[in-house]
Amino acid sequence: MTLADFKYSDVIHRCFRCGYCKFPINWMDVNNCPAYARFRIETYSCGGRLWLTRAWLSDEIDWTEHLAEILYSCTACKNCEVKCPLRFNADILNMIVAAKSEMVERGKIPAAVKEFLENIQRHGNPYGTSRAKRAEWIEGTGIEQYHGQDLLYYVGCVGSYDTRAQQSARVLGKVMQKAGVSFGVLGNDESCDGNEVSKLGEETLFEMLAEDNIAQFKELGVQRIVTLSPHSYNAMKNDYPTYGGEFDVSHYTQLLLRLVRDSKLDISRGFKAKVTYHDPCFLGRWNAEYEAPRAILHAIPGVELMEMERNRDGSLCCGGGGGNFYIDLLGGSESSPARRRVREADETGANILAVACPTCLTMLEDAVKAEELEDRLAVRDIAEITAEACGIE
Amino acid sequence: MDSVYQALADIVGNEHVSNRPEELYIYSFDLGTTEPHRPDYAVSPRTTEEIQEIVRLANRERIPVVALGGGLSLAGLAVPFKGGILMDLKRMDSILEVNERARYVVVECGVSQGQLTSYLERHYPYLTHSEPGAPPTATIVGNLAIHGQGDLAQPYGFNSDMVNGLEVVLPTGEVCRFGSCSIGNSWFTQHPLPDVGIFLGWLGTTGIITKASLRLFPCKKIRGTGQFVVEDERLVPEVMYKLSHTQMVEDIVAYSQAIPPFASGLQHFTINMAADSEKELEFKQEIVFDDTLGEYIQRGEGGFLGFTRGLQRPQVSKTSDWRKGGGFEYVGSIMPVEKYPECYRRGREISERHDIPYTVLGRCIGAAHAMMFSWTYAFNRADPETIRQAKEALHETDDLALELGGTVWKPGLYGQKLVMERLDPNTLNLMKKIKQLLDPNGIMNPGNWEVG
Amino acid sequence: MDIVACIKRVPDTSETDDIKIDASGKDIEKSNLAFKLNDWDEYVLETAAQLKEKLGGSFTAISVGPKVWEEVLRRALAMGADKAIRVDEDVVSLDPGCVARILSKVIEGLRYDLILFGAQSEDFGSGQLGAMVAEMLGVPHATLVVSLETEGKVIHVCRELEAGALEAYSIELPALLTIQTGINRPRYISLGGIKRAMKAELKVISLDNLGLSLNGLTQELKLERLEFPHRGKEAVIISGLPRESAEKLAHILYSSGIF
Repeated sequence: MTLADFKYSDVIHRCFRCGYCKFPINWMDVNNCPAYARFRIETYSCGGRLWLTRAWLSDEIDWTEHLAEILYSCTACKNCEVKCPLRFNADILNMIVAAKSEMVERGKIPAAVKEFLENIQRHGNPYGTSRAKRAEWIEGTGIEQYHGQDLLYYVGCVGSYDTRAQQSARVLGKVMQKAGVSFGVLGNDESCDGNEVSKLGEETLFEMLAEDNIAQFKELGVQRIVTLSPHSYNAMKNDYPTYGGEFDVSHYTQLLLRLVRDSKLDISRGFKAKVTYHDPCFLGRWNAEYEAPRAILHAIPGVELMEMERNRDGSLCCGGGGGNFYIDLLGGSESSPARRRVREADETGANILAVACPTCLTMLEDAVKAEELEDRLAVRDIAEITAEACGIE
Repeated sequence: MDSVYQALADIVGNEHVSNRPEELYIYSFDLGTTEPHRPDYAVSPRTTEEIQEIVRLANRERIPVVALGGGLSLAGLAVPFKGGILMDLKRMDSILEVNERARYVVVECGVSQGQLTSYLERHYPYLTHSEPGAPPTATIVGNLAIHGQGDLAQPYGFNSDMVNGLEVVLPTGEVCRFGSCSIGNSWFTQHPLPDVGIFLGWLGTTGIITKASLRLFPCKKIRGTGQFVVEDERLVPEVMYKLSHTQMVEDIVAYSQAIPPFASGLQHFTINMAADSEKELEFKQEIVFDDTLGEYIQRGEGGFLGFTRGLQRPQVSKTSDWRKGGGFEYVGSIMPVEKYPECYRRGREISERHDIPYTVLGRCIGAAHAMMFSWTYAFNRADPETIRQAKEALHETDDLALELGGTVWKPGLYGQKLVMERLDPNTLNLMKKIKQLLDPNGIMNPGNWEVG
Repeated sequence: MDIVACIKRVPDTSETDDIKIDASGKDIEKSNLAFKLNDWDEYVLETAAQLKEKLGGSFTAISVGPKVWEEVLRRALAMGADKAIRVDEDVVSLDPGCVARILSKVIEGLRYDLILFGAQSEDFGSGQLGAMVAEMLGVPHATLVVSLETEGKVIHVCRELEAGALEAYSIELPALLTIQTGINRPRYISLGGIKRAMKAELKVISLDNLGLSLNGLTQELKLERLEFPHRGKEAVIISGLPRESAEKLAHILYSSGIF
């Protein structure tokens, strides 16, 4: 495919490289693009990436694995789209994903991305762990298989297989049980939601995952879904309708807020801590949900909520999106977005960094360890905080 | 193994040096029409000492060094015309000191305009700096080095007039300080110590500025912009003269552009004012709009379009999208204010001849001592014909600026040649001597100010 | 250049605690496992694809196995193979010698300059197939190839020995190579590519078509049983100067019956 065949060939040259894409809510620094923050080399910023991509598509510069890595270092956090002052800004991520698709079609992608996608093709999750182990996190919780209950509790790959994220998956289940919610899970029958696959440019694989999931949900009579991960929330709410999957999808923080407001959850036990909240990209910038998680924290007695300077649509991505929680193109340095973020959290004086996404949970907890802040900053999922406030062990 | 690469890696660490084509690609480009040239290495130093070592290495190996700040000169001033080491200075982004009483800030060379603005808004709301119209990623020091102007130009002049001191790495690797900081005191004044004239306006050919002390100014509680418009461009110089007489305004900009069509042919003014109280604001507005501009309004020659509170940052990057093309470049000139009408008319004619919607702007500097007059030409990066037209228009405009009695503000190679052709021969000769003295191996941003 | 590549479908055994011996004692439980293309064969296909891109010609992929094996042949077609052939026979019950005989028969009927095999398979790992087929066809071969360059009718290859040492050969075509991992970077095959490959030519033949029969193929190896290695818990730390400890170690190895 030449540049002329590229779907966005009439748009990709319109980037002026003014650099607004690097900013958070004000212009305090240029570290809000996670890849640029990590490397501080121009080609990793959104504008740099677009110019490089255009050069590759026009055969001005040859493909190398490193060029592919630069493209794939984009975590799809949407900071650039929100900050770009030009009228084509809504197409920025579409362009990056379309370029990734072209690399996928040519088979020329970084080794770790190949592994990620092949593992999903084979095992339904990026880790390459057997499907037969997907339900292990459920043991001992009494959480039931879905058979027509009110809600399908969709956990996702990170929540099912990552040991730390499994804790939050369990705790959320227990909170819903305590509130008397009628829900069930798919267990070993659950398969990847495909959100990261779509952001990695593997369109046909995403289509297959979406269609298979939709068929499965319809067969089971699923109408309402609550997701642990904002990634699943994003895919099911925004992309599945294109494939005939119209479901009522909520992220769990939206459900928990309703339960608190309807007094189905007694949070009077409280949670005494100084808490700062990290907006996940796929809940925040992608789906404009900034307030439900905060409302829950405000409602819990004892929580003193302190905002980081970069919050809401100026939040700094944890660096896990675009498959990077596995592919890990942004790790290995104190400049990594996750480590910058936990330093920022620490600066607020908070002792709890609250998250609402299993990917953010694992990325930021690892960063706390790397920054040696474990003695004064702990990362907790909002489900875990709510559980403590309800007196659930 | 590339020994230069290894030496650079030893200085800044492996993570901050690159010789990979996919990483060097972007550093070849200016955002305007200048032809790209690939550097051999890109390096991001964090300290003055690292810069010194890099410069010494460059001298030993006779490799050019090109310093890059925000990269927004739009005149190709950070394009590695002769290859070499492209030094991306943006990692040196610490704001070192703000002295509230003496009203100054000391910044490293990578601190951006936006960063300083945000920092002051948050921590020192009574202080502000003269912010230029470039995108906020432009660097403070880059702007100083080219004699930029900002939104406090009318009372306080060029941004380079606001320098209290500099720290510079010379082309041979020594570090020098200028101003009170050089005698070990605080950075509060440049005068009366030996001045910094050989680093500002020299387009990076005499050294790398690593730190600067910049004057800050009072920031009042209420800031806003009044809009005024006239049809007859011949009125613009006298309006500017009268407004600057009031001593009540912070920034006076006159502009005219083809887009949106209803504005074409009109001369708009944005007039910035600040006040600490409603009483003060009302008083100033009366002086400016009633007493000074009232006569034009009464004669039907001018119209008042309202006063908006809060300073809106102009988003110049939007100009780049006018031809859905991602690009624009402008000729900035320093002109006598009285030349505004001719600058407008001749500039408009050049634009129209090249099929580009015209955009001109004049910013009053000081007490109307001069104005920065710019002619902007948008182009479509994907359409080489529009780039050619823009380049032609830009060259014609460089010629025009000098013809009308002004000078090119931050000249690209073409403008530099025009200026050098006209320069006093003794001055030119002195420039050559200075360059040879400071940079015997000719490594500093070569291609620029090539006095032969 | 006309290339023939022989590939195999194997169970994904990366999770070792998933492996159990089945009721027959001669195979592993496969119902809980996912399947994939043999790792070495990925490098085979990438090698063939790159040669075809560079030199033109044809690229045929062959497998001997039941219908489910078509998924690996589809991958080969997605990688650039012009055609694929499946011999319909369940190969698990056959020893390498028999499989070699079948494959030689298929390949005999094709035009070929270069025949490629993976150096070994992930399941039984005998590493014999390529060499046997080369002998049967009477072509020169090299195993464990880690680099390959073409020069007209000759190929220059390097074989991997031990400790990083390489052995270089120049071989006249037609020839057979068994490919070692690491020779290249196998490209990713998108689902879109595989879907498009569903429309490409995949021929199925029986042993009959080759003039062979199961009875006619004499097995020289008989698989008795599969078992896990005994997991002991002993650790012996051998001390002393290198000469002394080497002697002690040699004695232990000799008397343990390993040699």
